[in-house]
Amino acid sequence: MEQNTLHFESPTFFQRVKRMLDVDFYRLFHTPMFYIFLAIAAIIPAMILGMTSIENADGVVQKLYDNTWQVIAADTPLYAVSDIAQYANMNMVFIFGGIMLSIFIGHDYKSGYVKQLFTTHAKKEDYMISKTAIGAFSMACMCITYLIGTVVSGLFVQASFAVNVWSLLCAIVGKILMSLGWASLYVFLNIIFRKYFGISIVSCFFFGTGILIVGAGALVGNSPLLNVFLYGSSVYACLSGNIWTVLVCLAVSVAWTGIYNVLGTYVLEKSDVY
Amino acid sequence: MNAIEIKNLTKNFGEKQALKGLDMTVPVGAIYGFIGENGSGKSTTEKILCGLIPYNGGDVKLFGKPLTDVNIRANIGVLIESPGCFPSLSVWNNLMIQAANLGITNAADEVRKVLKLVRMEGAAGNKYKNCSLGMKQRIGIAMALLGDPALLVLDEPINGLDADGMRIMREVLTDLAQNHGCTVLVSSHILGELEKIATHYGIVRGGRMIKEMTAEELNASCRTFVALQTKNQENTKFVLRNRYARVEEDEQGYLRVYEAKNPEEVVTYLYEKGILVHEIKTAKIGLEEYYIDLMKEKGAR
Repeated sequence: MEQNTLHFESPTFFQRVKRMLDVDFYRLFHTPMFYIFLAIAAIIPAMILGMTSIENADGVVQKLYDNTWQVIAADTPLYAVSDIAQYANMNMVFIFGGIMLSIFIGHDYKSGYVKQLFTTHAKKEDYMISKTAIGAFSMACMCITYLIGTVVSGLFVQASFAVNVWSLLCAIVGKILMSLGWASLYVFLNIIFRKYFGISIVSCFFFGTGILIVGAGALVGNSPLLNVFLYGSSVYACLSGNIWTVLVCLAVSVAWTGIYNVLGTYVLEKSDVY
Repeated sequence: MNAIEIKNLTKNFGEKQALKGLDMTVPVGAIYGFIGENGSGKSTTEKILCGLIPYNGGDVKLFGKPLTDVNIRANIGVLIESPGCFPSLSVWNNLMIQAANLGITNAADEVRKVLKLVRMEGAAGNKYKNCSLGMKQRIGIAMALLGDPALLVLDEPINGLDADGMRIMREVLTDLAQNHGCTVLVSSHILGELEKIATHYGIVRGGRMIKEMTAEELNASCRTFVALQTKNQENTKFVLRNRYARVEEDEQGYLRVYEAKNPEEVVTYLYEKGILVHEIKTAKIGLEEYYIDLMKEKGAR
């Protein structure tokens, strides 16, 4: 070992974030949890479509969906859902993603990794950004495996594939864009409840179900105002979507990401890391 | 220049004041033994130094730079309580992760180097969760050594180590300080071990530094005493107390006479009283006894 000397390296913001992303992606790809959640995201739509397409004891098929793509998104933006078919679509990925991100961040704290991390150049905002990026990437991947699971199961049960391709594309892109906003919410929740792993998971599940917006929808009706919320705009990305849908999803997702990252950084700055 | 300079540091945890104006000075190249009871503020101070918890007031400088300068952190290697490793990853991968966080370009070489230093080359492929406690502590030291830090902050690094593990740790820390100019801040309750390596000491109590000194100063402050054994220790103790103010029986069964000028004086006195001495020697109180005495003294005030 050389004689230890003082070195006051000042890595740029991009260097710092890149270092952290390198580590987080390495961890993500080397943990079975990521692949398990990808598989879950593929299996769930296949299960839903498969189970709702089989005959019951009376030999009757009680289909929940007329069309395969309804497993991806509802026909129209319905915030106050009246049946499970309108609710159970690609938005479920955001629930799985929340749980996965809780486990991922929980490991940071449980293992003591954060204390190692924050004794380097890492800043609190870098942590928020990196975890948000990991969460968004994971959920985007889950959206894709969900899509694959839906298509395969649709083919298997011979469900209809008739759709306006442009609208479908806008809905899928819109939902993938929403991954960013959802990830930032989950990172924020995990920062708030960082010492209580169980509460972190439960809170992510609670918010991921969009229960507050579903409740609001029931009270105020299908108001477009609800689109300003993450769940609202996730619902807005539906099979009647267009380029406006994509833009709304992008704007809402980026705006909430900014808000949650600033709040999360503030909380981390003002509290004990470990 | 001092490696660490703390003035009037305060830290509150809600209503509880953990640090009440702590002062501390650690010269460059020192092995600084940081001593205190549980809850005295050692770990809190160390966590503040590493940037893990914010502080409420005071001035903290590392190598002349304020602690708020995040760029100083590349110079600090840290082992607080236990290493922050992912259990399912290998020792090698955990070290590579920390090397990546530190932005070390030749990470593989650096990891190899620190593993060799802590004598863990053969265990690089082991999963962290399968390592023994002693190995984990050495992995923590290896992690702290990544990037050739100028300051090592180690919180209880020898806890749970066997005799060989302690010896290795001692050799590693002494080598770092003597041959690589690394400053080491080490807290431990195992004062006997600390005494073998520390060049400076800081004793903290109730969130305040009550004593800072060099190993030489400690040596000078540590009183010599006469230790003896007789046939009837109880009676001897009673007789000796007529002449000497402080006579105590230690764990080995020796009577310690603190104010005696030399063994001859004690032997002569006891001979005059009709007591024969079986064994007698002079010794010096160690860090542990010095510490206990100091605590008693401060507690009495």
